[in-house]
Amino acid sequence: MKIKEEIKDGIKVIRLSGKVISGPDLMDLKTVFQTSINNNMGNVLLDLSRVAWMDSSGLGVLVSGHTSLAREGGRMAILNATKKINELFIITKLITIFETFTDENEALASLKE
Amino acid sequence: MLKGIVLKIPSDGSVVESVQIFVEKVGITSGVSEEDATGLSIAVMEVVKNAMEHGNGGDPKKAVTIYIDAFPGRLQFLIDDCGTWQPDADLGHEPGEGEALISSRGRGVLIARNLARWLDYGLNPEGKTRATLIWPLS
Repeated sequence: MKIKEEIKDGIKVIRLSGKVISGPDLMDLKTVFQTSINNNMGNVLLDLSRVAWMDSSGLGVLVSGHTSLAREGGRMAILNATKKINELFIITKLITIFETFTDENEALASLKE
Repeated sequence: MLKGIVLKIPSDGSVVESVQIFVEKVGITSGVSEEDATGLSIAVMEVVKNAMEHGNGGDPKKAVTIYIDAFPGRLQFLIDDCGTWQPDADLGHEPGEGEALISSRGRGVLIARNLARWLDYGLNPEGKTRATLIWPLS
């Protein structure tokens, strides 16, 4: 998994690519979420357009990031999850708690509200 | 055709990645596409991680044993742990509700069932928990 971070319109954007599965890379993703919380970044946009696979550990890190941000009054939105990842969100019902977008500008505008 | 592969691994999270790569290669060798082989390896490893955690209590001294066999039209994985837990027959058919839904854990069997098409739990001849995962080959 590769992680790229940038600030766009004042919003932290985290772009993931590859496989979000068990392994040391997941610790890096946890750290990215924690750093965002520590730096009071508030809201986070998570771009999953280049994520091919995710397992339960990867999902766990996303859920944990989502709840940690929410606890601090922030929000996490998901951008362009692939069909496979979207199916994963549906079967686990996480689709009911994740905010999902297919347009980056729309997602950023929503997170700035 | 692959026959009689046995992997005995400790209940130690650090081995998960290398075993996952091995299972992926087993899939590709058996004719599973590279794309689907990743799905196969994720499904198998979800079951293996559950066996390490629930069957063996995360004790590295306790092993998880994976028996891999290819048959015409299918790959079979038998995954044994040292426990005697017998998961509810409904395990992994429905996601959690409420607090369970926002838990960072507990989705492994659900994901494995959806990826593998066929996953069942029972006991091996020694009375220990055995998961049977079948992956169809085209």
